[in-house]
Amino acid sequence: MVAEGLKVLDVYKSFDTGEQSVEVLRGISFGIEPGEALAITGPSGSGKSTLLHLIGTLDRPTRGRIEIDGLQASTLPEPRLAHFRFESIGFVFQDHHLLPQYSVLENVMIPTMAFPRDRRKAEARARELVERVGLSHRIEHRPAELSGGERQRVAVARALINHPRLMLCDEPTGSLDRASAESVASLLFELHGEEGNILIAVTHSLELAGRFQNRLELREGRCFEA
Amino acid sequence: MFRSLAHYWRINLAVMLGGAVATSVLTGALMVGDSVRGSLRDLTLDRLGRITDAVVADRFFREDLAVELGSSGEAEVAPIVILRGAAVTDSGARASRVAMIGADERFAAMYGDDAGGLAALFGERLEGQLFPSVVVNDSLRRELGVEVGDSLVLSFTRFSYVPRDSLMGDKDPDDVLARFRVSLVEVVPDRGVGRFGLSPHQGTPLNAFVALEQIQRVLGQQGSVNGAVVETLQGTEAGERALHAAVGLSDYGVIVERGVSHFDVASRELVLRDDVAAAIVAAAAEVGAPAMPIQTYLANTIVGNGNLLPYSMVAAVDPLGGPGAFSLTLEDGSTAPPLADDGIYLSTWASKDLSVRPGDTVEIAYYVVGPHEELSTATTELRLDGVVEMEGLAADRDLVPDYPGLQEAEDISAWDPPFPVDLRLIREEDEEYWDEHGATPKAFVSAATGKRLWTTRFGSTTSVRIGAVPGRGLRSSTTAFREALLARLDPAAFGLRFRPVRQQGLEAAAGATDFAQLFIGFSFFLIVSSALLIGLLFGLGVQQRAGEIGLLRAVGYRMRTVRVRLLGEGAVLACLGAAIGVGGGIGYAWLMMAGLRTLWLPAVGSTALYLHIVPASLGAGWGIAVVVILTTIAMTIVRIGKVPPPVLLAGSTSRTSRRKGRRLAWTLALSATVAAVAMVFYAISTGALSSPGIAFGTGALLLVAGLSYFAAWCRGGRKRGMGPGSGVLVGMAARNSSWNPGRSMLSVALVGSACFVIVAVAANRQELGDELMRRDSGAGGFALVAEADVPIHGSLRSEQGRRDLGLSHDDSAVLSRAEVFPFRVLPGEDASCLNLYRPEKPAVLGVPDELIRRGGFSFQATLDIGDAGAGDNPWSLLNAELEPGVIPAFADAGSAQWILHVELGEDVVIEDDFGKPARLRLVGFLAGSIFQSELLIAEERFLEHFPSRGGDAYFLIDAPWDEAAEVSRILESALGPFGFDSTTTRERLMSYKAVEHTYLSTFQALGGLGLLLGTVGLGIVLVRNVIERRGELATLRAFGFRRATLVWLVLAENAFLLAIGMLIGTLSALAAVAPRLTTVHVPWGSLLATLGVVLVVGMLSSAVAVNGALRVPLLSVLKAER
Repeated sequence: MVAEGLKVLDVYKSFDTGEQSVEVLRGISFGIEPGEALAITGPSGSGKSTLLHLIGTLDRPTRGRIEIDGLQASTLPEPRLAHFRFESIGFVFQDHHLLPQYSVLENVMIPTMAFPRDRRKAEARARELVERVGLSHRIEHRPAELSGGERQRVAVARALINHPRLMLCDEPTGSLDRASAESVASLLFELHGEEGNILIAVTHSLELAGRFQNRLELREGRCFEA
Repeated sequence: MFRSLAHYWRINLAVMLGGAVATSVLTGALMVGDSVRGSLRDLTLDRLGRITDAVVADRFFREDLAVELGSSGEAEVAPIVILRGAAVTDSGARASRVAMIGADERFAAMYGDDAGGLAALFGERLEGQLFPSVVVNDSLRRELGVEVGDSLVLSFTRFSYVPRDSLMGDKDPDDVLARFRVSLVEVVPDRGVGRFGLSPHQGTPLNAFVALEQIQRVLGQQGSVNGAVVETLQGTEAGERALHAAVGLSDYGVIVERGVSHFDVASRELVLRDDVAAAIVAAAAEVGAPAMPIQTYLANTIVGNGNLLPYSMVAAVDPLGGPGAFSLTLEDGSTAPPLADDGIYLSTWASKDLSVRPGDTVEIAYYVVGPHEELSTATTELRLDGVVEMEGLAADRDLVPDYPGLQEAEDISAWDPPFPVDLRLIREEDEEYWDEHGATPKAFVSAATGKRLWTTRFGSTTSVRIGAVPGRGLRSSTTAFREALLARLDPAAFGLRFRPVRQQGLEAAAGATDFAQLFIGFSFFLIVSSALLIGLLFGLGVQQRAGEIGLLRAVGYRMRTVRVRLLGEGAVLACLGAAIGVGGGIGYAWLMMAGLRTLWLPAVGSTALYLHIVPASLGAGWGIAVVVILTTIAMTIVRIGKVPPPVLLAGSTSRTSRRKGRRLAWTLALSATVAAVAMVFYAISTGALSSPGIAFGTGALLLVAGLSYFAAWCRGGRKRGMGPGSGVLVGMAARNSSWNPGRSMLSVALVGSACFVIVAVAANRQELGDELMRRDSGAGGFALVAEADVPIHGSLRSEQGRRDLGLSHDDSAVLSRAEVFPFRVLPGEDASCLNLYRPEKPAVLGVPDELIRRGGFSFQATLDIGDAGAGDNPWSLLNAELEPGVIPAFADAGSAQWILHVELGEDVVIEDDFGKPARLRLVGFLAGSIFQSELLIAEERFLEHFPSRGGDAYFLIDAPWDEAAEVSRILESALGPFGFDSTTTRERLMSYKAVEHTYLSTFQALGGLGLLLGTVGLGIVLVRNVIERRGELATLRAFGFRRATLVWLVLAENAFLLAIGMLIGTLSALAAVAPRLTTVHVPWGSLLATLGVVLVVGMLSSAVAVNGALRVPLLSVLKAER
């Protein structure tokens, strides 16, 4: 086990459906160090996204611990937790969730607005990332004017704007065609390499999963090294 | 369908409640109209008891006429004396506009047990009671502050058969006014008999009841009354027939005095009306009797050959010849031939006294009475054509009516006539003549000469001498003549007609103002907001089922099928919601009626307005509401139908068409701006900057421009200025507000329009300031306006007149600095907004020539009648000659439009003194004037058609403004017994304005309520947006945005829309009224409070809505596996 990086220790997660409780995750444990990448695979309903959201502090485990750089974030109160997410975590979703009323540049900058930041620095960083994802020529465009692949590239740039220690991707290529998916996947790995953060992706795609050095398969709430 | 309705019960319940609100407001507004009409009907029935008709004349007629009417079996009749006057208590408390009613048990019977209080009038006096009994209604008791046992003095007009405006009329205030001290024995409540009155008005009258016999005695009219209230048993027409059968010549004031060979037909008014004189002559001709009209007049002096004969009667007659009573005999024994127009006969006594001979010139001087009873002396020269023997006609004392103050005098020096007499002129010879011959005429002129010299508006014949029908005796001739004359005289021409007061009252209860329409207008924004709310709620419901709809479409359902299904659900909700709303409507109407009785009392002036439920209105309200609700729902469904299934499957019901309409919005924005600027330039160049029409037009254009700019902003354009740092929330909120331009526009347009109307309407409250001093203002530059219950004979314009009216020298000196313009008044119904009933017979003022020449006031419009009204002074239109029987008239523009419902050039027909229709053609509309309760015609025309209206009862006083209070005090003190009540023109105008302002307040309150409901709609817009954007919001949370931050973000978005709407609406309205801000009173306090409440409630409702919406777990949205 390492002091830095991500540690998932005997994590359980169950949901109440009213009359009964459904246990989605049953004693998940693993660790990952900065600079490493992990793919989580598994059939639908196996708890992949739930695990990703627990790691991303969007939800709290029913039992067990998740430590990020030695900090058990799930115990933080909501305001500090939000700030923790702001500083440490970047998300890429299958459905990019770009804000349609904002331009590409503005969408990339959105995470910087959750807490006060130097506007000029933020904008410079956003421009750099837009350029890095190859969308400089689309910087003032709105999401509706972009292709699916381009939108996901914007989502990737947005996830990286705050230099997160954890980059969490939920089916990042799930809604893309093969070529776009390949392009986005390459971009993810390139940027992961450059940023040196932890990259975790939930995917059904064996092709994408195959590009990760670490792979974890979830089945019936338990994890197995793939 | 019902399973769907049950499954989505929460949102369906909300739609239903939205529908209920819309129905409540709509049905409630209809019911307010019903309730006002119903209450006015109730008031009419309450004040009239069993009375269906009334006969109220300007003259006294036999009380027996009423008895005879009753005995005909056609009607139950109660004779009454009804007069208007004033009441004063020992402590000096005074009430004017008091109705004095002389009544007996027959009157009380009209009210059954409700008139129990009047019984105190008919019994014996109480122990220790000094004065006759009076019963007052509670309103009068409160006005005077009296209690049972107190004494008070009633003052009212003493009836005079002789027109007081004529030479022989008595103008002495002590004779004009009857004063009657009474003891208060009972107070009746302000309902039933306590509310008795024959004119429809919702206000409670001030009634004082005295025993009929008592008031007859005070007036010297024993056995006579001036009115009768009737319960017709067979209808008004049958009653009219009975009246025709019962009426006698004495009821018309016509006297038939039989002589030896003839009979004289005269009038108790001393002068026979021309129509009556003509009827007499015609009746005589009908029965074959000779008739000879006679006119006698008093010559102040007859001068001939340097000698003077004082105070002599002159008869104008064309002798018929024949028997002595019809002919004049010259000195030579021959029958005097008809006189030429410039000729005169003198009696032998007179010619001898003057020492004149035929051919000499004789000058006659006589009094002429001016329109305001001012006496002047006129003279005429005539040629002496002969001297007549003092026999036959020349020796007939009966030629001269019984002039009051003359005939009964023992000698000339004892005369007490109502005009000045120079007793120094009276000689011994004159007294001897008086002793021997009384008032026998000393001179004779032709009838034509008499007409030319002495015709007044009252007539030109003092009597008609009628001989026996050839071959018949005088008695039989008289009887035949009486019957013929009675058949020729119409009781209506003497005011003796059945007025179907109950029917008229019930018809007038339909109201001058349609309160249903008024309250629908007031509640407009409430209705629109409710409809919007329904649309938004239904849309929200549909949005929840977007996936279901998308699926149905995806699996092959036709959109039409889906629409029909949704519309079916909507119809069920509409019907149920409207049904609930009908109940709410009753509550809404009850609340509005309570508002009218309390908060908005100045607008209606009656606390007797209560809820009336009319099933037809409930049905109509339900039906209209169902249509409105279904239309709104249908519009939502049609919109949903345009959304592609994939979008629906994704849970959204909105299409992204941001750019669509952007060009249109810009075009509209720029065009409206250019038009507004052009309108301002036009207004500046034409000087019409403060015109309400132009102001409102400019404001409306600015509103359209503002909304269009916002629409253009929403629909595109790169928006800058957002980024991390302070204020980012506001920037993001502003940007986010354009997320769904359609919804945002809907919200901003609703809030903006409502604010515009509320602010523009509120800023229309006109403050009355120094402009009233100007002649072109609504006050015409007059400081005071006054009214008298008892018409005042005599002039307040002259020192002598003021002294005659009892003003002290000092007071007269103060008044000399003021100019008084007296008006004749034809009493009638209030034509202003203070009267809720529709006036059938509005009050009419006779405008004196002095005011017509002076001009003033401002006119909204005048009728172009060619040269007749040409000139700078529109008042000259009142003197225009129109077709026969048509009288030019002015009305206040507001009263004409809203109360009388007449246009310029239309006629208001009223009945004149002769029972004939007088058509008052509206040739001018005064703008916001003090004449809102009356119609105005020239005094000259007034006197032609209403000659019996003696004295002045309305006054405009041009006093120095700083002395107005003092002038008012002096006049009220001196003329108190006349019921003289003066008020400042500002107060008079404010009493009218109070109605307008109250309506504006009502509109502001209900408009504010609508705006409030609109803000709830805004909350729903927000929830829908949040639901559609939940992925976006979840993303923001994933990136570290706190939940509270997101709540604030969405709230700021809502606040932005609310603020933009309020800002656009308010600024457009203020820009519209800017040129008039100095002359209007903007109620900033209540206005800001209304807008503040709207803002706060809007934010609170949004906070609740957003808080609820953001409680939905956002996480699931982010999950790929859904």
